[in-house]
Amino acid sequence: MRRIAVLTLALLALAGACRKQPPLTSNLAVENKVSVRQVRLYYQGPEMLLAAETRNVSLPENPAGALAVVMRELLKGSANTTVARSFPADTVLRGAYLLPDGTVFVDLGGPTLTQGWGTGSHEELMAVYSVVWTVTTNFAQARQVRLLVNGEPAETLAGHIALDRSLRPAEWVVDPRRR
Amino acid sequence: MKRLAPIIVLAILVPALTSIVLAQQPSQATLRTATGDRPVTTVQMSGQTYFSAGDVLTALGGTIAPDSTGFRVTLNNTVAAFGPDSRFGVVRDDLIEMPAPPVIVDGKPYVPWQFFHGFLKRAIDNEAAWDPAARVLAIHSAQHNVVSVQASVTNVQDISKVVLTLSGPAEYGIIRQPGAYTISFRTPIHAPFAEQAVEDPYVQKLAFAGNELRIQLSAPDVVGDAYKLENPFRIVLDFRKGSTTAPGAAPPSISRPVDQPGIRTIVIDPGHGGKEVGAIGPAGMMEKDATLAVCRKLAVSLGAKLGARVVLTRDEDAVVSLDQRTAIANQYKADLFLSVHMNAAVVKGAHGSETYFLSLDASDELAKKAAEAENAVSAAAQPTTSSDLKLILWDLAQQEYLNESSKFASAIQEEMNRATGVQNRGVKQAPFKVLVGATMPAALVEVAFITNPEEEAKLKKDDFQNMVVEAITRAVQRYKTDYETRIGVAQPPPAAPPAPATATAAARTGT
Repeated sequence: MRRIAVLTLALLALAGACRKQPPLTSNLAVENKVSVRQVRLYYQGPEMLLAAETRNVSLPENPAGALAVVMRELLKGSANTTVARSFPADTVLRGAYLLPDGTVFVDLGGPTLTQGWGTGSHEELMAVYSVVWTVTTNFAQARQVRLLVNGEPAETLAGHIALDRSLRPAEWVVDPRRR
Repeated sequence: MKRLAPIIVLAILVPALTSIVLAQQPSQATLRTATGDRPVTTVQMSGQTYFSAGDVLTALGGTIAPDSTGFRVTLNNTVAAFGPDSRFGVVRDDLIEMPAPPVIVDGKPYVPWQFFHGFLKRAIDNEAAWDPAARVLAIHSAQHNVVSVQASVTNVQDISKVVLTLSGPAEYGIIRQPGAYTISFRTPIHAPFAEQAVEDPYVQKLAFAGNELRIQLSAPDVVGDAYKLENPFRIVLDFRKGSTTAPGAAPPSISRPVDQPGIRTIVIDPGHGGKEVGAIGPAGMMEKDATLAVCRKLAVSLGAKLGARVVLTRDEDAVVSLDQRTAIANQYKADLFLSVHMNAAVVKGAHGSETYFLSLDASDELAKKAAEAENAVSAAAQPTTSSDLKLILWDLAQQEYLNESSKFASAIQEEMNRATGVQNRGVKQAPFKVLVGATMPAALVEVAFITNPEEEAKLKKDDFQNMVVEAITRAVQRYKTDYETRIGVAQPPPAAPPAPATATAAARTGT
């Protein structure tokens, strides 16, 4: 009798659990699904142009989650230790967001970017466009990138490249042989 | 089996119960607007209250529609977009930050109340506030802070500059009439005086009345350009003698006047300055010092060899904002603008010079701004125009000069290659902030890599600096000759060299 009661309770619970629930959110529905994808990360090569480096990364299927993972991979630097970092070593990713119109907002922070990065045009160009190329290459929905610093619109990262607008991938900054 | 049964039951019950807890049923709150109260559907998740975007928008007369990746809402011709993957919505070119991304429940979008706060401010100048205890989402007219205004008038090189320094950002419009400009503030202001006469060739009187400032000009043919500067917030109007325009005619373009064709005024911009040191060489040389040293010599050289009026954007170790540098060039009606920098690279052995002119890639925002500008220009046949138009045009100002800027940049790069023997890194395009608003051919030269020990050592030497100065001077001369030949202007031989001016020095000695 006791066994029957337990079985009945279990069946009732199973029925309740299996009843189709409306999805709570689209992002919750997919955020736990992860798959390994090959991504292309852009770093400055010996020709002083950006060059793609492929890396296998476990990515959430949710584009917002995947964006953040790819950006953090980029900020880790190249697997080739002779390749210099594009950003100051203390740069952190605060967030990455894909908006419906295909604009990706990448929110960066860290002491150097906050206090003012003292570098030249070339390094700043390489840093900015390493993000633009990495994001637009790996995410088909991403058409243009806008960089924020500490959650705020920034004039520039280091006094040169205008960040008050969305940027699209400029061709000349990438080594055509290593695109 | 007996032992396993409770575990199986728990394994089945826990997810079932969890799903029931998470899937809280929508509840009701009160939406309070000027027209009364009505219910608004809310859901609660992870401590965050979300409001039905459809309920609120419909109550305010707006619409909401799904698109490929999210939703678009429209109210009072203002469109905003948001999606479930981002806690930022976008309206015009601004962001609306939310504490959490919107959620979709039963196919309908729910957003934190902060979305309405950001969107309604821009769409109908309203604000939103959520009272969780009373469960009331209140929409009301924006409570504008009163902004205090300070006004000054100075005349520099035959341009009368009216600078209004505000204690905070303000919305305003400019009404242009022959003989007077009126600035109509949409933000409440605290005026410094009611009326003040001014001793100035072009500006006679400033008079505040309510939220308006009337600038009385000395003659109907005095025309002005207006622009906005940040930190602190300033509205700047540059008045000068212009050609007489009939009442009701289109306001003057911000394009450079062609009453003095040819290359007569050159603005040289030493990159960085003050606490913005720029790149630093391995031996400690700062980019800001190297650029100033080269630019001081360049100003003397250009004045002496071309007979041009040369203005430095800074002649001391001081911070000058990027917008201010370009504004100085525009203020002086410069015919050429050159920003001088030293480069930096982490790649060992990086060396050489390169020259840039502006790239304006056709981003969505820019395309939209261009469309807005075209619409605004077509509407500008009326005497009233908005300062926003000026700001849009500021963003697009360099566009019509890109071809000339390319020629100018090429001339500089060729002469740098010929003279200095440093590696040719070529002419390139990039979105340099300092070039964006320039209403004349403009370029930025990276003289050498200060991060390269050899080039840093060269930059310290007079010989190398002089070589760079001579190369750029020849490039400017080449471009000047080429340009003036193309437009058919014969230039007299150079007159006695005028002393180079600086924007700051000129301002101090202004009458």
